[in-house]
Amino acid sequence: MKKSTIYLSGVLIVGLLLVFVSCSKKSSDRLHSELLPLDGNPLVSFRILINIGSANDPVEKEGLSQLTWSMLANGGSQDLSFTEISQMFYPIAAYMGLNVDKEMSVFTGQIHIDNLEKYYSIFKDMLLNPGFHEEDFIRLKTNQLNFLERSLVSNMDEQFGKEMLNLAMYEGHPYGHAEAGTVESVKSLTLEDVRAFYSKHFVQGNITLGLAGGYPADFPARIKSDFSALPTGHTPQLVLPEQKMPDGLELVISEKQTPATAISMGFPVSLSKKDSDYFALWIAVSHFGEHRQHVSHLFQKIREERGQNYGDYAYADHFIQGRNKFPAQNYGRQQQYFSIWIRPLANSNRHFALRQALLELKKLVQEGIPEERFELIRTYLLNYTKLYAQTVGERLGWQMDSTYYGYKDFLAEAQERLPKITREQVNNAIKKYLNFKNLFIAVITQDAQSFRDALVADTPSPITYAGPKPQDILNEDMIYEVFSLNVKSGNIRVVPATKFFQKTGIPKSE
Amino acid sequence: MTKFISFALCMTLLLSIPAVLHSARIFPYDYKIETLENGLTIISIPLDNPFIISYYTIVRSGSRNEIEPGKSGFAHFFEHMMFKGTKDVPREEYDDFLTLLGAGTNGYTTDDYTCYFVVFAGQENLESVVKTEADRFINLYYDEEMIKSEAPVIEGEYYASVSNPSRRIYETLRNTAFDLHSYKHTTMGYLKDILDMPNQFEYSKLYQKRFYAPDNSILLVVGDFEHDKLMEYARNYYGPWEKSNYTLVTPVEKAQTKQKRASYDWPSPTLPRLTIGFHGPAFSDETIDMAAMDLLAAVAFSSSSAFYQKLVIEEQKCQSFSTSFSDHRDPFLLIFNAVLKQEKDLPDIEEEIFKELERLKNEPVDPETLTKVKSNLKYSFANSLGTTDGIAGSLAYYINLTGDPNTVNKVFDLYEKITPEDIQEMTRKYFKITNSTVVTLTEGKGQ
Repeated sequence: MKKSTIYLSGVLIVGLLLVFVSCSKKSSDRLHSELLPLDGNPLVSFRILINIGSANDPVEKEGLSQLTWSMLANGGSQDLSFTEISQMFYPIAAYMGLNVDKEMSVFTGQIHIDNLEKYYSIFKDMLLNPGFHEEDFIRLKTNQLNFLERSLVSNMDEQFGKEMLNLAMYEGHPYGHAEAGTVESVKSLTLEDVRAFYSKHFVQGNITLGLAGGYPADFPARIKSDFSALPTGHTPQLVLPEQKMPDGLELVISEKQTPATAISMGFPVSLSKKDSDYFALWIAVSHFGEHRQHVSHLFQKIREERGQNYGDYAYADHFIQGRNKFPAQNYGRQQQYFSIWIRPLANSNRHFALRQALLELKKLVQEGIPEERFELIRTYLLNYTKLYAQTVGERLGWQMDSTYYGYKDFLAEAQERLPKITREQVNNAIKKYLNFKNLFIAVITQDAQSFRDALVADTPSPITYAGPKPQDILNEDMIYEVFSLNVKSGNIRVVPATKFFQKTGIPKSE
Repeated sequence: MTKFISFALCMTLLLSIPAVLHSARIFPYDYKIETLENGLTIISIPLDNPFIISYYTIVRSGSRNEIEPGKSGFAHFFEHMMFKGTKDVPREEYDDFLTLLGAGTNGYTTDDYTCYFVVFAGQENLESVVKTEADRFINLYYDEEMIKSEAPVIEGEYYASVSNPSRRIYETLRNTAFDLHSYKHTTMGYLKDILDMPNQFEYSKLYQKRFYAPDNSILLVVGDFEHDKLMEYARNYYGPWEKSNYTLVTPVEKAQTKQKRASYDWPSPTLPRLTIGFHGPAFSDETIDMAAMDLLAAVAFSSSSAFYQKLVIEEQKCQSFSTSFSDHRDPFLLIFNAVLKQEKDLPDIEEEIFKELERLKNEPVDPETLTKVKSNLKYSFANSLGTTDGIAGSLAYYINLTGDPNTVNKVFDLYEKITPEDIQEMTRKYFKITNSTVVTLTEGKGQ
């Protein structure tokens, strides 16, 4: 009898697994899944990905996706208040994280196997039976408003600069507002809006259940069964308008009282990780501005040789990390952009640094990657990417991104493809996708009008140093300081910082 | 391809955490400690996970060591200079070496220590890493011009956070709370001292001689390597490093006898902030003072506490509330931070914090909640040990405090022993109004 029970249980488990596996094939109205079993690992990592982000916000309801998903991750369920959830999570060191981007959002969690049952029962309820309590709504809506009105424009200039670049790059486009929305739109959001958005979009076909670690064999089938309670269906993928290229250098300058100038610039590119050219462009951009690494050419020219700021980087696609070194996962987008991030520097050097970055970009476009750097960077990327996925959660995230971009394993693909790429392919990719004449440029600085005038007049912008500099640096400076940016006066908008994020788009200039 | 996949599959450690959580030792890995004749301590933790090695050099010198006036921020500045190379391996060559290795590398400076790390793949690269790292610690070379060139980078780093009000209120708190001790300034230092860094070439040499020495440093290596090989390389390459024999005497802070207050006007729109600091104990793995404070912070003020829930979730007067009772080698501050939604609530929140502390002096914390907190601390620590770098980073924190990796086990032993009455006694000892410093930051006319 006992033997039969075991046998039947085994059949049931295998059966459930088969159902799970068969359903994990892409079917637009049903749940998707990504599994990464790691037998013996004491941690279990969750990534519940939904293909809905801020680009799905209805017009005049910008910020609704962030507020709705935040109500799940940071609010109570039907049975538990958020206070009760916090108190139950605490002893087991548990959490639910949330990242919201333009076209996808992800709920994350990690738990020790000892506490899997306790954690999952709450985690599941937060997503499947959200409480939508009025007090949570007020709290989270107020936080979102405070972020837009106070924090973003006043407490975090580097982030502000990146958001300004996004506004400039995507005016009139579904990507063209911050994930948090605008002050006006968030003020108008109601709890009914949140409920309706959840009902419409939190459906099976929009969701991928990501699970990694040492979970029990029957656990995926249980999750699948639980989430199958959601309605079937899916939201059609957004049909995005063509990305708008800037006409020359198009600047938006935010005026505020600050001793340091923050600069972000970029332009849309017509490729992403799914394209074979990506690997060649990746080498080029890693050479030009690898994030937070000495290997970055811009870092060497602006920080190491001239000591102007803390760091200077470039990216082949959307990159959200600030202090963290490695790329984050689950920020997939249909459309991407190339960008340069100049970290805050003394206001007196803003014109020089802008010229310097653009002249270096011009050299990259016209001359390509130097021969000696090509081999160095390719080897670097081959080794450095081995550090990309160290934790259980990161490995799961990369696996999900691999599926999004059409690979079995993107990082393994990189190991295959990078050694075969030639310098000529890199230089062709640079020519094809990068340019130095047409960029959106976001600047946060004080005395913006005088900067505007200097840009239009193309006034030389010499730099001074605290001590002597080698002659080759000084010679190069003489070229930088008069490098013509050819900015048209009509291409510069100066806007007070406090006017941003009140409504969609760039506020009218003064 | 096959090699890479197998490499990726093995990268995440198969930790023996379940057993650990029910055993006497929270830190589950065996380690070996050896000390070279010159005083350099080497802590080695070989693991079975293939490929990755985390190589940490811990210099037990941070902003605490900046005892002379005008030298604030120097430990952090010197961290930058450590990337300038040597005569044998100039900076460009050092950068190229790390680039080819594909290493994740950097440094960071805290109040008490400075840490340099190289995270890389392949034990065949271990000797070249030991050789190159030893060379830069023993033979670092820079001239006055290089000092002048690097100093503005620190200014740039300062600017990177200039728009962050949390940074400014923290600086103000420390500057107000301390009179004598070098904890008066932050790791970044005062702006006036940062601006004077180009003129500090001579002092940089003195700083290096005093603190960048084997008897003030610890090598911590975690990952896929053989201990004997590591020791062989270490003896070869670190052997010539000369001792310092310098003893740092930090100024002793006099007991505070009356409450101090300060305010900061923020030049643009911002949420109001309140921070309150009490002079607290130094870290110890022998006495219960600091361990009891860790437990108090978690029981009474963490996100699951009734106090937090009232302020942030129910009444919603605060957008966020947190404590920072951080471990330091000398007595530091026990800090409460609140970001409020309305300026008018500042006096109320201040009063609530003091009122709650008074209550905790009179009522022992709930034993059941204390048990939950101890569970949280164990699982949080266990969760941090998922990668070689997680292990090295977590351990570096404790090693800096005492030089002994067993400190982490001793601290968790202390947590186990501490009772609600112990916490009550420590609350009475440290949370006196005369021992507090209150700082507010509000939207104002500007500094």
